[in-house]
Amino acid sequence: MTADTGSTGAVSTATIIAWLTVFRDLVTANNAYLTELDSAIGDADHGSNMTRGMDAVVAQVGSVAPESIAELFTSAGMTLVKTVGGASGPLYGTFFLRCGSATPAGATQLDSTAFGTCLRAGLEGVVARGKAQAGDKTMFDAMAPALAAYDQTVGRGASLSAAGVAAAVAAATGRDNTEPLVAKKGRASYLGDRSVGHIDPGSASTTLLFEALARALSDT
Amino acid sequence: MIGIVVVSHSPRLAQAALELALAMVPGKRPAIALAAGADGDVIGTDASRVAAAIEEVSSPEGVLVVSDLGSATMSAELALELIDSSSTRVVLSDAPFVEGLIAAVVCAAGGATLADVDREASTALRAKRAQLAAAPPSPHTIEHTDTRPRDGDSPSRYRTEQVDRGGVPTQADSPLRHRSETTTSGHVSGTFGSPSPSPSSPYRTEILPNAAGLHARPAAVIATKVAQSGEQVTITNASAGRGPVDAASTMLLLSLGARQGDSVEIRGVGESSSALVSELAELVAEGFGETADGAATPHSVVARAHHSAGDPIGVSAGRRAGRVLRMPDPITEPSATETVPRGDRAAAAARIVSATTSVVADLTRRAETAQAGHARDVLNATAQLTNDPVLVANSQRRVMVEGRTPQRAVWDAVSHLAAQLGSLGGVGAERVADLHDVRDRIVAQLTGEAQPGVPTSTDPFVLVATDLAPADTALLDPRVCLGIITAEGGPTSHTAILARALGIPAVVAAGAAASAAVLSPGTLVLLDGMTGEIVIDPTPELVASVATATATSTAVTGAGATGDGYSVPLLANIGGVSDVAVAVAARAQGVGLFRTEFCFLDRADAPRLDEQIAAYRAVFSGFAGQKVVVRTLDAGADKPLPFLASGHEPNPALGVRGYRTSWARPEVLDLQLTAIAAAAAAERADVWVMAPMIDTVAEAIEFARRARGQGVSTVGVMIETPAAALMSRELLDVVDFASLGTNDLTQYTMAADRMLGSLAALNDPWQPAVLRMIAAATGGAEQAGKPIGVCGEAAADPLLAVVLVGLGVATLSMAPRVIAPVAAVLGGASRAMCGDAAARALSATSSAAARAAVKKVMESR
Repeated sequence: MTADTGSTGAVSTATIIAWLTVFRDLVTANNAYLTELDSAIGDADHGSNMTRGMDAVVAQVGSVAPESIAELFTSAGMTLVKTVGGASGPLYGTFFLRCGSATPAGATQLDSTAFGTCLRAGLEGVVARGKAQAGDKTMFDAMAPALAAYDQTVGRGASLSAAGVAAAVAAATGRDNTEPLVAKKGRASYLGDRSVGHIDPGSASTTLLFEALARALSDT
Repeated sequence: MIGIVVVSHSPRLAQAALELALAMVPGKRPAIALAAGADGDVIGTDASRVAAAIEEVSSPEGVLVVSDLGSATMSAELALELIDSSSTRVVLSDAPFVEGLIAAVVCAAGGATLADVDREASTALRAKRAQLAAAPPSPHTIEHTDTRPRDGDSPSRYRTEQVDRGGVPTQADSPLRHRSETTTSGHVSGTFGSPSPSPSSPYRTEILPNAAGLHARPAAVIATKVAQSGEQVTITNASAGRGPVDAASTMLLLSLGARQGDSVEIRGVGESSSALVSELAELVAEGFGETADGAATPHSVVARAHHSAGDPIGVSAGRRAGRVLRMPDPITEPSATETVPRGDRAAAAARIVSATTSVVADLTRRAETAQAGHARDVLNATAQLTNDPVLVANSQRRVMVEGRTPQRAVWDAVSHLAAQLGSLGGVGAERVADLHDVRDRIVAQLTGEAQPGVPTSTDPFVLVATDLAPADTALLDPRVCLGIITAEGGPTSHTAILARALGIPAVVAAGAAASAAVLSPGTLVLLDGMTGEIVIDPTPELVASVATATATSTAVTGAGATGDGYSVPLLANIGGVSDVAVAVAARAQGVGLFRTEFCFLDRADAPRLDEQIAAYRAVFSGFAGQKVVVRTLDAGADKPLPFLASGHEPNPALGVRGYRTSWARPEVLDLQLTAIAAAAAAERADVWVMAPMIDTVAEAIEFARRARGQGVSTVGVMIETPAAALMSRELLDVVDFASLGTNDLTQYTMAADRMLGSLAALNDPWQPAVLRMIAAATGGAEQAGKPIGVCGEAAADPLLAVVLVGLGVATLSMAPRVIAPVAAVLGGASRAMCGDAAARALSATSSAAARAAVKKVMESR
């Protein structure tokens, strides 16, 4: 439904629900791909973990029907924490929880700047939790460029929809750039140089997160 | 004494490590809580469990958290953000898991401070390091990392190796091992002895044959048997890789999501359990006494919407008078913010047990007095679900740890379980409505509200409710429930459809007329399910006239014709083989709508050709020499199937559904058409095949080409959209017949979602616009010289049936139980009256005026 987003270019609760739902659809469709990436340098459960987690998020959001953006983020974050199991649980969980605490309580609409602040808080949460830096071959390597591109696009006065697309493209570039890196975090780091030549699965799912965001924002 | 929290990816690992540690401290022990595994007991960690565990063991001395690998530490860190860390001092230990836990437990039991316990734990590797450093150099250290037995190994180590190589299966590796030993009889059994002194474990593997799989009722039967026996039995869904779970818990059994065709493994502990294992295996093998093709009970919940502004609408024919019995209003959601002070929590948690006990006692008592076998089973299953130890324990934990009120704790615990089951899809998802029923019953008991659900009464009554869920309606006994009046709902709502199927007269969308102020309990009320009329305190003469009318209408047979002999075959809408007997008993002259979805429900992928052929043949064989109109698979975003998922759509009713799903997956339709043609060739029924949601002539040409290519001889389309109605002439030029789906045609003509009670007045096939749309379709059919029927709910409204016949409809198809009333009204009209009725209805300016005009025509006879 696009009725409550209208032409104001704002992010609404409906946008967030669409984001989560499309992300669920994308991780489901890419379940095998994510697991394949993870089987090369991890424990081959990233696809199933993310699919289970996002299925639960969409079910939870559907049954609880949160009324504000902050509640939606918090609900998504807590559900991921509870259902994912692997390291992506606390990482994606923290991302959404921090997005939630950076959103004004009760708000049902955010402009592009406020939404950018929320995403930034989410990224800071991921850094605090995973202690990853640029080039460690983690989800950070897709998420950080995505947010930089988002902020830059919004700063030029472009639409939310354009900012979403820019973020998704930057995330994909960041993901592809993880291929030649040596993993420094998580189970892949045990492999050392053998992790070279493989895309990091976390950066791949983060790219899907921003692809989903781009699609959700295309309706704003 | 400090508290200790054990965080692990694996519940079994945590439990075993804790046992090892506790063996060291026979006396006073510190409070220890486990936070292991993630939701659904997958391998993983869950920060919210860690947070709950910390709060559970929190003490003024502080809490030490010992974790295993990687994300366990991350979850523990996140847990600190989730709790009020100012109230408790929490230290995350960097100790090795097993050694650190043992050191921490021993040290804490001695009353050490948090800092001391932390230091002791993190230096727990000292002992091992010291021992290895003292050992002779290189050759030995290499040997310690090698798993093969070698000369020079200690005797005890060597013995362990031999047992491992002996091929004794453990619980963890059993599914694969057992599958390889499956015998031709379809099950395997045996007794594997674990190395002494462990007990032997009898097991059986069976394939679930029944359509509904391991659903609530059989799960309750199994759980009761296991609980009463005192034996330990686990069940695993080997096909889906879920489990093993404790078979004494209904909830955990449901979490297996075991479906038809799944391989179910039953395993006992100890020789004494072997009889029970066999008994349970037989139950599974027999499909719990259910059929392999039983149609699924509808479980979707009707949207509960606002009051409708229009007049009451008659949706299920019949005039009845009786005393009002009111259905309690839905339970209100308990407050999520109210908390119970720490000191009162134990008492509050205890209330959950007494509330569930009362609810179980009430349900069991009702089950004992219930007449129908199905109703009794449903009540018993609900009782078992209510008494589930997991549900009770989970609710109590929320009171003790989170300080929720008992009613909120039950509400949250059930929502949590429902979300888990819902995410499994299929069988699990269908149990969600049962769980919500259980939740409402316990909450009502705790808050003193009236118990939800249909009140019990042995005296005949007229049921008055805000709205009815399908489950409520399905439980109604037509012998005591004389009629139904609801404030909400529409003519195509589930209430209306089920009321017609049960033969109970019903009036919906009565608004304020159905309020407690107007229709208080015990009031005498008369309702007319044809006209929507409600009379409060009717005169004795009026009540007497109703009694006679009921007696005469039951005497009519099913053959459809007007009083002057114009034949209009009355056909049945069916959803599977279980409806065949009802349709035949109602003297249906064939099937006008055979919904094939049942064959596809609960399936992860499309059913195989042979399965489909068998399912269709079973239906066709009941109608030798008669017509059976098969509708190809009607699914989509509004009725999702796992293997036809079209993803999220903002407007499912306007999305990829019906025939449109074949654009992406043509092979599913082709396979179905092949199966229908093969089944038709093998049976003597006159099989016609039609596609749902056809819009354009190009689609009709394409469908006809594919159907005929697969060997279908009579091909048709459903007319459910204004586009198809207006193009019916051209559509019928390329196919053999058409069938009007009036439910969808009404919602699309009026642009009114049929699930919304607030739009009931618009969602009424009596709307003149809808009638004109139908007239456009029948007019086109007449020009093309091809037959057109009606298979929507409009055909089940006797008065509207008269109009449809007047508009040129050749056949009427409906729920089997309404065939008799429709035949009766049709028999009372002449063909000329039908034409007159149609003309008057078409020229009316509102649905109410159309009804009134037709009623006048019928009364003039």
